[in-house]
Amino acid sequence: MKIVISGIGIISAAGFNLEQNLEAIKNGKRNGAPVSIFSTILPYPVFEVKSLPEKYAKEGMRTRSLAFAALKEALDDAGLQAPLSGFRTGVCLGTTVASQLNDISFYTEFRKSGSADLKPVDLFLKGNLAESVACSLNASGPSITVVNACSSGTDAIGIALSWLKAGFCDIAIAGGADEINRVPLCGFGSLGILSNSLCAPFDKNRSGLNLGEGAGILIIEREDFYIKRCGKPSLYLSGYGSFADAYHLTAPRPDGTGLESAIRKALSDAKVVPEDICFVNAHGTGTLDNDRVEGSVLSRVFGDKIKFLSTKGYTGHTLGGAGSIEAVYTAAALKEGWIPSNAGFECKDDDIPITPVTANTPINGCFAVSTSLAFGGNNAAIVIERA
Amino acid sequence: MYISGIGIVFTRGRGIDSFEKALKEGWREPSRTGLIPAYRVGPETLTDASLSKKIRRADRFSRMAVLSAVDAYGNSGITVNEREKLGIILATAFGPHTTTFSFLDDILDYGDANVSPTKFSNSVHNAAASYVSAILESRGPTVTLTQFKLAFQNALILAGSWIAEGRCDHVLCGCADELGMVMECACKMKLNIAKDGKINPFAFSDSPVSVPGEGSVFVMLSKEKGSNNYGKVGEISFSQNITRKPDLFVIDTDGMSAYETGYKDIINYDTVIAGYSPVFGSMLTGSAFNFAAAALMLKNQIAYKCIFQDNPFGAKLCVETSAKNLNEIYCIKICRPEIKTIVRLQK
Repeated sequence: MKIVISGIGIISAAGFNLEQNLEAIKNGKRNGAPVSIFSTILPYPVFEVKSLPEKYAKEGMRTRSLAFAALKEALDDAGLQAPLSGFRTGVCLGTTVASQLNDISFYTEFRKSGSADLKPVDLFLKGNLAESVACSLNASGPSITVVNACSSGTDAIGIALSWLKAGFCDIAIAGGADEINRVPLCGFGSLGILSNSLCAPFDKNRSGLNLGEGAGILIIEREDFYIKRCGKPSLYLSGYGSFADAYHLTAPRPDGTGLESAIRKALSDAKVVPEDICFVNAHGTGTLDNDRVEGSVLSRVFGDKIKFLSTKGYTGHTLGGAGSIEAVYTAAALKEGWIPSNAGFECKDDDIPITPVTANTPINGCFAVSTSLAFGGNNAAIVIERA
Repeated sequence: MYISGIGIVFTRGRGIDSFEKALKEGWREPSRTGLIPAYRVGPETLTDASLSKKIRRADRFSRMAVLSAVDAYGNSGITVNEREKLGIILATAFGPHTTTFSFLDDILDYGDANVSPTKFSNSVHNAAASYVSAILESRGPTVTLTQFKLAFQNALILAGSWIAEGRCDHVLCGCADELGMVMECACKMKLNIAKDGKINPFAFSDSPVSVPGEGSVFVMLSKEKGSNNYGKVGEISFSQNITRKPDLFVIDTDGMSAYETGYKDIINYDTVIAGYSPVFGSMLTGSAFNFAAAALMLKNQIAYKCIFQDNPFGAKLCVETSAKNLNEIYCIKICRPEIKTIVRLQK
């Protein structure tokens, strides 16, 4: 049973849709700048989605708004229209911020008086990402909001793949979304892993990550179902692997064995070998630890000739949305036949055995891998295939 | 998949024996130390000398999850040698919100640049699963999910998928939720709290009463039948009608849903009905506790009595704790007319 990717949608600091995103990254455009959507003394640049399209903007529900913008593009791309009540539809979406009741104004009021207007609580209860998307589409299948920190988006896509293979649904909405929010900005700042300048994944002088926001949505379907509905597929979601480090809350296992297992499982799931992979869209946050571990693992699994890059130089680290935004880029790159330059890279790090692509680069192959690593020691990888 | 172990942390203690004892004992008055009567987990329940170093930085939410997960693993009697074949799924409605608010305290009191990294890393929803994974050295897929409606049911579906695909031979699958100050305030303002401390699971009212609770349940689910077998998880379905009669229905009525009237239809099946929310309290993830009760009944072949038997619609309730031939139990949660989930448990 093969699983088709029938639609993709994206919104990020690089653009409101796939076309704008591809145009921006092709031209090396990087929209990182100081935070403008809330007040903070923290100076770190972030990648904001400027002027969220009005029809999707809902006050107090920014992550949901981002998700719905990408969802509309993905549904259109798949030739589907809400509601999807005629199908068995599952919804699996990753996030971090939308899962937390962390409204600072609400909490400030609560601290003062022991009570507060519950409107933010109501918005929170309505804002569970998968539940709200499932409700809007009248979806009747399984529904999960994955909160696996930075691997949420990739894990969400992998879980939807498992559902389809097991026959729990015919179509799944899979992906993730996250907003820039003061709470994670302060938190990542406290961990000392935010960069004062635009991030430089895999570079020798990298100094940390930049937070970003956005959403990536994939519509995936069982092949038999898709062929009846539309005809010939052009992309497949072919494999998924997920393994835990069982090591540390915030640091990756130094030997990278969790990530290696995840990649190897995704490859075996897709019934391919490392030599079949034409490029890897790496997690590549720009932190010292992540890039060193990930670079070593990619070298170990794929050899020193592998073409790889991180797209976080164009979008920032979109946390629960990262894996899905990168899956959308990966799918688009396979269709378009090129990958962008690894933005921010200048100097090779002697601790990383391989070097990312430094210019827009043609690719010639049918399979690509996208990876995610996360707080809590989660590692996930997917394989996408061009038909 | 088979249920090979159960671990539980709830208002009356820790471990499946405590839960069994509570089911036999019946109702107890909830604690009244906060804004509302509630089934709180005491601090003494959340200490464990053997794990104290490993969970020294863990918050209450993570401790509840860790202790119940570790107990479920231990209760199974299984030693998983191939650690990449042991998966973890933690479902929650609200996650470690007390730590999140404590982190907000830091922001408000000390400013954006002077917050605690330890609090931040523990406020992330998947911190609890990470502790479990590190303690048990499990290397398989580890997922934390958050849902308000059908958290545990979706977790079970995912566990079943992983086992069916061969990703895992065993999955520790559970739920956890805590009751912090802000949540108590929200419950007080939004829910119809039972002033007498009594949840009424069989009133099927359109304005049901609740007594919020907190705690965690994990079940060890295994591909093969283990030595400590509680039963088998059969089909899990959404939005399907009940086509055959089980030996017992266990229903998730606890005052947290505005659609408890929907459970009235269950009466028509002329099958014994039970529901144990008065033992652990009202929780969006309460299905996991009722599932644990159902598994225990299958294993012991004992039906536990319903604690409050106010029964205005004449449901056929389980009125005494007694030996009963139980081959199949359906755990049912109804959220809306079109969303009825059935988890079929078999001996």
